[in-house]
Amino acid sequence: MLRFYIALWASKFVDALLRLKGETRDDWPGLLAFKLCPDFLAKVKKPDLVITITGTNGKTTTTSLVAGKLIEAGLKVSYNDWGANLHAGYCLNLMRGVNIFNKCKIDVSILEADEKTLAKTMGMIEPDYILVTNVCKDSLRRNGHPEYIYDCINNAFKKLGSKTTAILNANDPISSTLAEGTGARRIFYGMADMGLHPYENIVKDITVCPVCGKPIEYDYRFYRHLGKFRCSDPKCSYRTPDADYYAETIDLDGRTTVIREKDGSVQTYPLISDTVFNVFNVVSAAATLRAVGQSREDIAEFLSRQKIPEIRETYKEFNGIRYYAFATKSQNVSAASTVFEYMANEPSNKNVVFCMDEVQDRNHPTETLTWIYETDYEALNSPNIKKIIVGGHMFLNHKLRLLLAGIPADKIVAVENDDEVPLHVDTEGIERVYVLYETDYVTKGQTWRDNIYKRAMELADKKGGEE
Amino acid sequence: MKTLELLYPEYCNIFGESYNAEYLSRCNSEIKVISTDNTSVPAFVKDDVDMIYLGCSPERKQEQIIELLKPHRERISELIDKGTIVLATGNAIEIFGREIKDGDRVIPALGIFDFTSVRYMEEDRHNSQYVGLFKAKDGTEITMLGHRSQFSFAYGDFDEPFIDIEIGIGMNPDTKREGLYRNNFFATYSLGPYLIMNPLFTKYLLRLLGLDDTLLFEKEIIEAYEYRRDELRRNLG
Repeated sequence: MLRFYIALWASKFVDALLRLKGETRDDWPGLLAFKLCPDFLAKVKKPDLVITITGTNGKTTTTSLVAGKLIEAGLKVSYNDWGANLHAGYCLNLMRGVNIFNKCKIDVSILEADEKTLAKTMGMIEPDYILVTNVCKDSLRRNGHPEYIYDCINNAFKKLGSKTTAILNANDPISSTLAEGTGARRIFYGMADMGLHPYENIVKDITVCPVCGKPIEYDYRFYRHLGKFRCSDPKCSYRTPDADYYAETIDLDGRTTVIREKDGSVQTYPLISDTVFNVFNVVSAAATLRAVGQSREDIAEFLSRQKIPEIRETYKEFNGIRYYAFATKSQNVSAASTVFEYMANEPSNKNVVFCMDEVQDRNHPTETLTWIYETDYEALNSPNIKKIIVGGHMFLNHKLRLLLAGIPADKIVAVENDDEVPLHVDTEGIERVYVLYETDYVTKGQTWRDNIYKRAMELADKKGGEE
Repeated sequence: MKTLELLYPEYCNIFGESYNAEYLSRCNSEIKVISTDNTSVPAFVKDDVDMIYLGCSPERKQEQIIELLKPHRERISELIDKGTIVLATGNAIEIFGREIKDGDRVIPALGIFDFTSVRYMEEDRHNSQYVGLFKAKDGTEITMLGHRSQFSFAYGDFDEPFIDIEIGIGMNPDTKREGLYRNNFFATYSLGPYLIMNPLFTKYLLRLLGLDDTLLFEKEIIEAYEYRRDELRRNLG
């Protein structure tokens, strides 16, 4: 135990120093605790309620909603709002929740968690709830393929058994079977048909029934493999489970959803955006908050004041054109495909700018090509997308892929030099410009957007001067 | 008409593998793609197809594919011996070896080539790229580019390598021999859209099929290949 206390005190000391410098978003104190005491997570005192939020997509937004609501409810909550979702982040989170005598001083800890390391870490933390948003195709380099990630998460449930409750997405044919037979209580959330006509993905995350190997069929789909599914063999039991929290009505225009609970009670909840993946985020957050005892009315009131984190989507407006910086995880194939589909479905006439180099690959030899052939570039072949401008060292690969996707050559501009990108963006005849940027490159994405915006203003000034 | 059999696309299209068959068939309308799923007997069992493609799959599916192909092991050997074009990418290469070891488990594979694969599922995934030289038996030489991302390596003598690695690793970190090459059987650990990454090899395959070797968007794909090749040499060399 001495080792643990040395780790705790050293970690607290470093954390205090960093706080004095105003650096609260640094998980280095957590890493120090882990290095000094590898089972720090097992020994540190946990609050009465620990919620883990994991899954391929939607973790950060959902974590932020759940944490925000519980803080508003007057609870003392510890969570890493910058998405530190690995070992060091958990150590930091839990270390901040105890005093120097390892006495808990918070009510709730919320851990946004990486899927891959879940079994090792959650086995020590023993969270009361684990919300799994979905399991989709992610970065090839780290996460391999969905089946591997499924195993990583399921190993955590196997380890925890009845000590935890799984909150699962009933519409995900992959993650909805998690925790089966582990002894964990399973709570499902799901959604009714939204009348969407999602793109038929070129690479599917799951195609055959994991029970019998027959093809999977859908009554309806939202995006990718998420929808109301069943095995094509009527004798097979594999299908969408009944949802404990079921969004029976979803109104994207009015930005509301009505969620029916198992006891028949219903509540209308505001949505934070008009994207289907954010509807899932709201429904999963509402299900989690209900599971931990928050009232329907309070959740609805809280959601009415929320919007998606600014970092993910910001815009500036000039001369009737909105210039967006729009977060897009490129090598996370499911996220990139969903954004491409959104670009086509969002009705405004637009230019789309790719700013999608991966920071990790910049540090490594050269960027991978695979994700480009897994992502649905075909979705970008839409009449409202007037031009696609690509910059950076992958420009030739993007250009080729766009051509293969059937996008007319005269709509594609591919330049190696990033600085040239703004020169090719239209300043009239469109309503929106979307700069799709890597989530690790917020500043770069916003700088590109700002340069495009600045050039539009300069051109307008010049034109005004000439007149 | 030339027939390309795409084996188990429902299992083997995890990193864009099916685009190999799609691209090849879009290059030449003489190529007809037959997709064979896990409930069907492969077309090559009864008929002589011109080319067979098997891509990378998740580990559990890889084991199912071995079981699906085991009854046809002799036929596969016969086709390889008589020069049918076969392309296997990613961990599909392991299916043609002797066995796959996964912890305490030993999964017997088809045993057409003499090597053993070992999975390291508990360790970090290995990611790397390669530049290497393919020397065809007809004297053609092509600089090949590859991208590997895998949990396993293969061990053996590899006296029939597909590629001599110039930059990067071969079948395991201690060899520069990459892949398998026997008659017109080509296999590599590189995954995803291999024929997009290697347009000169795609042209070679079209010629092997007895077809015109003009590529779809030839100028653009060669340009992208040359840029990538130079970038890899610059950054890795």
